[in-house]
Amino acid sequence: MNNDIQLAARSDDWLETGLSCKPTDRAAAEKGVLLAYESAGLPAPEIVLWAGSPLDGAKLVAGLDDPGASVRPKVRTRPWAAARKELMDRLGQSGFARHWIATTRRPWRQLVDQIATPMRNRLNAHFTAEGGEPAGRCRQALLDVILGQHDAAWLGAFSAASRDDDPELAGLARVARSAGWWWAFERAVVISERHVEVHRDNLGRLHRGDGPALSYPDGYAIHSWRGMPIPPEMVAQLATLTVERIQAEENAEMRRVMLEHFGFERYLRESGAKKQHADEFGTLWRVDIPGDEPLVMVEVINSTAEPDGSFRTYFLRVPPQTSTARGGVAWTFALSEQEYSPLKQT
Amino acid sequence: MFRQGDVLVVPMPREEFPGGLVPAPRDRHNRMVVALGEATGHAHVLTGERATLLCAPDDPDRLFMLIEGYGRLGHEEHGPIALAPGAYRVIRQREYFPGAIRPVSD
Repeated sequence: MNNDIQLAARSDDWLETGLSCKPTDRAAAEKGVLLAYESAGLPAPEIVLWAGSPLDGAKLVAGLDDPGASVRPKVRTRPWAAARKELMDRLGQSGFARHWIATTRRPWRQLVDQIATPMRNRLNAHFTAEGGEPAGRCRQALLDVILGQHDAAWLGAFSAASRDDDPELAGLARVARSAGWWWAFERAVVISERHVEVHRDNLGRLHRGDGPALSYPDGYAIHSWRGMPIPPEMVAQLATLTVERIQAEENAEMRRVMLEHFGFERYLRESGAKKQHADEFGTLWRVDIPGDEPLVMVEVINSTAEPDGSFRTYFLRVPPQTSTARGGVAWTFALSEQEYSPLKQT
Repeated sequence: MFRQGDVLVVPMPREEFPGGLVPAPRDRHNRMVVALGEATGHAHVLTGERATLLCAPDDPDRLFMLIEGYGRLGHEEHGPIALAPGAYRVIRQREYFPGAIRPVSD
């Protein structure tokens, strides 16, 4: 099990690197780039450009004059595939699977699934909406990106990435520890700064109700509520919501964000919700929303007392056809009402 | 079955464990973590004597417990749950979101 502890510690350290909002270390990042080119047997790039964000980076790439072909396959794909193969040969298939889970499960989910992929989708949508030839080249650039600090999602699988003496991964690892997304071409490199702010909820989704959930030094920012994109104007409105304002919102997704921010409990109280059913598992509430499906929620009581002796309750939204509190709680655990019968709840 | 906040532990016949389960990786404090809150850092943790947290090798979120001595499930905000010898599967709580189903985490 000692090996597990080491792997978990390495995985945690890389996750921290991936989430880091410390100032970019440009000198270290450029050194990493040179190392990556050298170990791929490539001559050093002629120019290195710095971008204030991935958005800015994609635009710089789109505007490059004759940068040569992308060398991503040589500096990113090849060393990663080689390191994977070496590990697989050494550990065998099942050993490799377990090692991979131990080192990359959490960083991959937190960095790729929760941050890098949503940001890439957002940038894609941005350029698609912009339309035209330059935006088309920006979208093309997104296909060639190397994730820099978000490559921490997988670098923890390889002990060599944590040492600077390994020729294969040292370059990639050094850029990951120093900067954000980057692009590598035969004659040019574009590197983005790291993010300066990342706010996440308990599942690691980008989440903030009073400002951008993710932002870069040049001002590029992503506003997000529990991982769902929201327009920046919405954030300003969240502080002054009323039941009437929520009901008047025409966009169903935005109405749901407002509802969550306002608080289900408060909404139920202020909108005259009806108690539909109560049993030993909780209380089922229902309120009709004009132009939308009804809001049906179970109120569940934590059976462990708070320090002041009270019991905390929480609300979970369940499908609108739910008719009993027990059925609602059962649904939240993917069980039928008959199947759900806890002997003890804490 | 037992509920601890957003985690449900359901007894099952050991013979019905899926094939190929492996011990779930420990965290850096050598703990068997059933679920971890990214923002709070709070965790549902299995301890005990001959108590093992298992996962499917291709899907580390499918968790099972094999208790041969005794087991205890703990969490910073919830009372502990004692687990008798036997086999269990773990179900994480989810919530309904029109058009989608989302996991929850305490």
